[in-house]
Amino acid sequence: MDTAKSFLKKLRTFLIFAGPTTFVFLSVVIFPFIFGIYLSLTNWDGIASAYRFIGFSNYLTVFQDQFFWNSFLLTVRYVLYTVVFVNLVAFALAYLLTSGIKGEKVLRAGFFVPNLIGGIILGLIWHFVFSRALVFLGKSLNLELFSYSWLANPQKALWTLVIVSVWQYSGYMMLIHIAGLVNMPKEVIEAALIDGANDGQRIIRIILPLMAPSFVVSMFLTLQRGFMVYDVNLALTNGGPFRSTELISMHVYKKAFLAQEYGIGQSQAFILFVMVAAITLTQVYFSKKLEVEM
Amino acid sequence: MKYGKAKARDKSILGYFKYGFLCILLLIYLCPFYLVIINSFKNRTEIISNPLGFISKTNVSNFVNAFRQMNYLDAFINSLIITSISVLIIALFSSMTAYFFVRFKWKINRFLFFMMVTSMLIPFQSIMIPLVRIYGANLKLLDNKWILIYMYMGFGSSLSVFVYHGFIKSIPMELEEAAMIDGCTRVQTFFNIVFPLLRPTTLTLIILNVLWIWNDFLLPSLVLISKANRTLPLSTFYFHGTYTADYGLLMAGLLLTIIPVIVFFILMQKHIISGIMQGAIK
Amino acid sequence: MKKARLLTLALCLMLMFSLSSALGFAQTTVHVTVLNSKGEIQTQLEEIAEHYNRATSGVKVEIVPCPVGQSPFERTMAMYSAGNAPTIAMLDPADVVRFQDKALDLTAEQWVRDAIERSLDRSTLPNGRVIGFPFTVEAYGFIYNKQVVDKAVGGKFDPMSIKTTADLEALFRKIESSGTGALVISPMDWSLGAHFLAVSYTTQSANSSGIDEFFSKLRDGKANLAANRQFIGLMDTFDTMKKYNVDKNDPLSGTYDRGPELLGEGKVGIWFMGNWAWPNINEFDTANGQYGFLPVPISNNPDDYGNSQIPVGVTKYFIVDAEQSTEAQQKEARNFLNWLVYDEKGQEYVVNQANVIPAFKNVTVEPKDPLAKSILEYVMNGKTLEFMTQLPADHWSVVGASMQKYLAGAIDRNGLADEIEAYWSNLQ
Repeated sequence: MDTAKSFLKKLRTFLIFAGPTTFVFLSVVIFPFIFGIYLSLTNWDGIASAYRFIGFSNYLTVFQDQFFWNSFLLTVRYVLYTVVFVNLVAFALAYLLTSGIKGEKVLRAGFFVPNLIGGIILGLIWHFVFSRALVFLGKSLNLELFSYSWLANPQKALWTLVIVSVWQYSGYMMLIHIAGLVNMPKEVIEAALIDGANDGQRIIRIILPLMAPSFVVSMFLTLQRGFMVYDVNLALTNGGPFRSTELISMHVYKKAFLAQEYGIGQSQAFILFVMVAAITLTQVYFSKKLEVEM
Repeated sequence: MKYGKAKARDKSILGYFKYGFLCILLLIYLCPFYLVIINSFKNRTEIISNPLGFISKTNVSNFVNAFRQMNYLDAFINSLIITSISVLIIALFSSMTAYFFVRFKWKINRFLFFMMVTSMLIPFQSIMIPLVRIYGANLKLLDNKWILIYMYMGFGSSLSVFVYHGFIKSIPMELEEAAMIDGCTRVQTFFNIVFPLLRPTTLTLIILNVLWIWNDFLLPSLVLISKANRTLPLSTFYFHGTYTADYGLLMAGLLLTIIPVIVFFILMQKHIISGIMQGAIK
Repeated sequence: MKKARLLTLALCLMLMFSLSSALGFAQTTVHVTVLNSKGEIQTQLEEIAEHYNRATSGVKVEIVPCPVGQSPFERTMAMYSAGNAPTIAMLDPADVVRFQDKALDLTAEQWVRDAIERSLDRSTLPNGRVIGFPFTVEAYGFIYNKQVVDKAVGGKFDPMSIKTTADLEALFRKIESSGTGALVISPMDWSLGAHFLAVSYTTQSANSSGIDEFFSKLRDGKANLAANRQFIGLMDTFDTMKKYNVDKNDPLSGTYDRGPELLGEGKVGIWFMGNWAWPNINEFDTANGQYGFLPVPISNNPDDYGNSQIPVGVTKYFIVDAEQSTEAQQKEARNFLNWLVYDEKGQEYVVNQANVIPAFKNVTVEPKDPLAKSILEYVMNGKTLEFMTQLPADHWSVVGASMQKYLAGAIDRNGLADEIEAYWSNLQ
């Protein structure tokens, strides 16, 4: 009797506080996701009215698909560069913009501006910059580096993606790092200053360890965005030249909608999800642990 | 606002050097916007032959055309309705959920929370088709602003619950206990005590979600079919042809799309900068 | 000031109009949605629809564009999944049959009898049922700027004089020595893969069954491309093109827009592309609108099949939805398609506003655009090749990438042949 009553009371609290969110979340994200997994076990092509259950054969195909794994490795490389450079630039900006120079607020806001534009448009603008503006500049000023379009060179094309990502996210991550810096106990830094530590020593020995929490957040976000990137990839390089910059999301997308092998695309997406979740959650787990130990 | 005033202005030579460096870097950061602005005043041939050149004559025809072709006022109102309602709903319900998850450490709550965080890693393309199949072919609910708002609530609550969760953890329990002793119910306690404390985080999330929903393209392109329902990004993208684009028109359309966001950004600037930071560190 | 007021007035009217339709004042109106996957003629199609809506009553045709980054197939598929299928969908030829269980049977329509020869190939099912309306006829080859080539050959250039790879090279040389760039190769994967390389497929045989046979050999891994006469010949031509390409130092950097600019301004004499480029060339035109097509030669024997022909074919079809649209919508959709073929205004709009070459014998509207005229000449003389529109959906992307590698010198001819063969034999 008592337990039943307390259960009902608990249920009521649950429904009031978490009910709407849980219901909408399950119905919009989780059900379609599960339905998607089911579709990956069929031979549906996206349009036919009839399809049948074929077990794991789509997954077998994916595991043997060399292009899928190449694309995945390429994405890992891209994510690695992006995570490193976004955080380096973001931390440097944050450090400089908390050192008390003038115009700090305007500068902070300015570096955040790239976040105002969404994916495809952003890619189109940068396409324009790399394929026209920079080449135009390079040819007029005789700069070898810019005379040839970076988008036409497989190595440089990957870097264009990294550059655009750094441009896009560093402002955002900068704010996270600023938050970490300004919330740092002032006494620690002042004590270090009295001890005569210089800028470099101060950063490495004192500030960085204290910054671990903001690094956890910014790493999670950069990893997540890196693996999921699609819009910019599409509008900036479209996977080219010769598919050398076809990152994993685009590969999955092309498989499902261009090659019209929907079941295989869906299986790739699921495998991708599992791997990204594994990588990201491991990162969070270890950095949290690190954080605790420090 | 303890930063900014925390330290005396750095007036050394090094300080000026840093300042100059940052200003130059900022100019480089803003270059793409400069290109958008100057090229939105040019026609296609001018852009192709000289993308960097200054505006030779003030030609607003791109803006007039874009405004007309985008059905700007309609699209603006649609975007406004969808964005503002979604953002408010997400803020309200996510904060309640996060509060509940923090204060009641039940197994089911921990599981749901884990699921929400992990769901942020689901590639959207993998749920896109099942989603429209369920809501379109089976439930016949598409082509409707309200269902889009419903979906934004579903997709947006994960990040918001995640961020609120981190922040609520740091709120001391004593305040709430005092209120409960005074006879407040859980719900009253939440709205009277906790929600006001969450203001910076709420502002952060509102801003992030506004940026996301205002600019979002893929989801509305699947859900909103008829012309009368189109949002601003949906209208902009149609200036792009199969083989080539009318860049001038596209840039003008882009500017018209982001101007409201920029105005919003300027109005909220103070809150944005402080809000994001306070939300992010926890 | 007056303009601004007019604009406000127009906006108010538009607002009122959309409101009134939303509130259901015009309940008897049948709505026909047309999914347009040819983004470059979106405005023109909207104008056509507007005109049609004014000229008829009880029907409202609305053009829904297929946005950038989404293929027509994906868009149509998503709209079907969403239970919101367009009444009329504009599809790529290879996709038409995939919608066969959803498309309306159009066999009894009058335009089926007026369609030009072979234009219904990709929209006719094996059982003879016609499910697609051929919307655009397109062709590609070397587009030449008449002013530039006239100057290069010192007189009046005769397009019929180019029948072999050697002829072509001689022309390139003449153009170069007249002080202009010879040609520009646009390095887009779709252009190289779906159009240029496809010349080696379509020239395998003068009839479709011969080409199909070649495709089955490719799928079975039995077609030895490196020893294939047409493939070798086409690649010889490509090597010549590479040699004279104005972008040869940075062959992959060009964008589509560079082509019409260089050709139109007379900075090159030749560009490999199709007639859809006319509006773009026209923007830069300095040759008084004098352009034409040359075939892509595949050997040094002037009589070889393919050396005096250009690929011509239907590149977009309309299908009418029978699954989710009402009877009334289907009927109005059929009326609209008929109007495009049989109404004088409709014909005029299609030909001269949307720059579309119709696939119907009864349409006699004279096109104003020089490339369309050039194509009609080839068609009239029976000098056409089959446009390879039946290629697998990701062919252009995968094989186009291999062609880009070859263009950039990243692989040699054997490597290219291997990659193409691997693509075909790995198809499921």
